[in-house]
Amino acid sequence: MKNLLYKEFHLSIHPAYFLMPAFGVLLLIPHWPYFIALMYFFFISVPNIFNNNKAQNDIGFSATLPIRRADIVTARVTSITILELLQILVASIFVFIKMTLFQTENFLLDANIAFIGFTFMMFGIFNVIYLPMFYKTADKIGWPIIVSFSATFLFSAVIEAIILMVPAAKILDGKAHLSAQLLVLGIGILAFFLLSYEANRLSIKRFKKINI
Amino acid sequence: MTILTVEGLCKRYPSFYLRDVSFTLETGYIMGFIGSNGAGKTTTLKSMINLVHKDSGVVRILGKDFTQNEIELKQDLGIMFGGVDYYRKHKIYQISRVVRRFFKNWDDDIYQTYLRRFSIDENKRVEELSNGMRVKYSLALAMSHQAKLFLLDEPTSGLDPIARDDILDLFQELIEDGSRSILFSTHITSDLEKCADYITYIENGQIIESRSKDDVLSAYRIVKGKQDQLPSISSKLIGYKKNAFGFTGLTKNSDLQGSGSLLIEPASLEDIMIYTRRKNDEESIV
Repeated sequence: MKNLLYKEFHLSIHPAYFLMPAFGVLLLIPHWPYFIALMYFFFISVPNIFNNNKAQNDIGFSATLPIRRADIVTARVTSITILELLQILVASIFVFIKMTLFQTENFLLDANIAFIGFTFMMFGIFNVIYLPMFYKTADKIGWPIIVSFSATFLFSAVIEAIILMVPAAKILDGKAHLSAQLLVLGIGILAFFLLSYEANRLSIKRFKKINI
Repeated sequence: MTILTVEGLCKRYPSFYLRDVSFTLETGYIMGFIGSNGAGKTTTLKSMINLVHKDSGVVRILGKDFTQNEIELKQDLGIMFGGVDYYRKHKIYQISRVVRRFFKNWDDDIYQTYLRRFSIDENKRVEELSNGMRVKYSLALAMSHQAKLFLLDEPTSGLDPIARDDILDLFQELIEDGSRSILFSTHITSDLEKCADYITYIENGQIIESRSKDDVLSAYRIVKGKQDQLPSISSKLIGYKKNAFGFTGLTKNSDLQGSGSLLIEPASLEDIMIYTRRKNDEESIV
């Protein structure tokens, strides 16, 4: 697996994608739907990485190496997960800058601890839909992107609507109720890892069935 | 020693059926895998190494079942599907530094020796190499991890005659010490006449021949005659073509008794392919 991750980051994934977390700076914009700042990963990084690998015949290359099919999938899921964690980590830094320096409350969900928890959930949802859908063909990325992105958009819209319309959910907004927000963060982290694990399991199952 | 055994390999697609493919290859020999486009060469090679899921059949490499020992056996395989057709925008050294990590027998000295010999500049991108150079780079990688069996899909297609001849000479050199074998698919029959020891001929998903090149060539004959002689021999012909002067057909050497005044000539691999294919086409029309 170490060798495959080396391959992922030295051949398959261009270093420029490590700059994508810089979109976290968008969290400093006042009054904005902050989930969008992290969705750039779905618009730019994922389609480009997977399309580029298709153009570079990554699967043809991997087929010549002494590796299991399952390992090809796990390496990719792991590398995408690493990029996502980096994205969330950098976003979290901007969340703390925002919480410390900016006092104005957002009309929608604030960039706060609960928001970080929700972004973990959002990336988990993306992974569990996109990756198994992609590995059904290991070729077509159009529908997997459309469906998984729609699901994450719906998730973020529902969260924003709940924060806006359900009075009890207001404790997740602002900076006051830290324990409730930390709980959301904990659940978010757990959901992210469980969903990504499931994404890997389902992707392996599907990738094993296809002819390369 | 048998390095490769394929037994009863079957794969059914909606429009194509690979039927009961069986053949063996001994260590120290080159086997040419011939057939027309779409005959099943690539499907066979891919099914052998589980890139395509076979419906049934067994593949043994170095005496071990490939499905059970895939990772271990891939260490001993040099696999090439259509040259280095991957990571074309990357530099050679970038690909090599990844590949070398996966093979426990990787020998950097051998790698450097072959790069020098083939005049491959590691700082060049794959797309900057000619087709012939890409095949050579692929062989250099396989030699560096000390592959024992080379499975090469159409390594010579798209190469000019000089590059092709160069690659075929290299094949001969690779097997010279008797420790390696090459199975390479092609539809260019002159490649096989130059360097193959064994021929496996596939047509329409079925193996027609799998034996030594000399045996294959001596088993067939080209028959030429006048139009009025055709009815008496047509049942013995595998396939034939009519022309203004008469006919030309292919027959098994063993079916030639009593052929009388017909003109008999040795058959080339190309003749065998063309006339066998004609028979298949006629059968499929019927």
